[in-house]
Amino acid sequence: MNAWLIAAAVLAACGVGPCLLLGLRGSPEQRLAGLNLAATITSVVLLLLAQGFSRTSYTDLALDLAVLAPAGTLVFTRFLAGRQQ
Amino acid sequence: MTPRHTLALVLLVAGAAALLLAALALAVLPGPYLRLHALSPAAALGAPLVALALAVDTGPGRAAVKLLVIGLLLAIGGTVTTMAVARTTVRAERKAQQ
Repeated sequence: MNAWLIAAAVLAACGVGPCLLLGLRGSPEQRLAGLNLAATITSVVLLLLAQGFSRTSYTDLALDLAVLAPAGTLVFTRFLAGRQQ
Repeated sequence: MTPRHTLALVLLVAGAAALLLAALALAVLPGPYLRLHALSPAAALGAPLVALALAVDTGPGRAAVKLLVIGLLLAIGGTVTTMAVARTTVRAERKAQQ
């Protein structure tokens, strides 16, 4: 157990938790805000896990999520904008 | 405990604190617009600080550059999506008032 794994555990539990709660209730726009923050924190958790287990090749997971998560959020905003017109 | 490892741990704690504060703000702040304030500090401050901590701990080399690129991607992606979510929220509020 090292500092990276401890930080990953704390962020996964106390960081992603509130985002999931917000994702369960409220208007679609509010859920999207929760999804957006959950994606950022999950990318960081993946980075920390790769470092904590000394598997640097797994940083590619965080790289993929860092690229795809914003794209997914923008697709959601596009759908919500289409719904509002 | 080398000075480099100590610096990495300080950056890690600062980044993790920024992310946890953002998650707390998301859960506690009332109203949609106030909650948007929770998104950009996490992406523009928390994630790059953690990426910097990892890069410092890894030491100079290709792996550190890759970590910094990931931190930069998270900062840019988070900022852009925060603006997109804010615009969608404004539209939804305006639609609700009509």
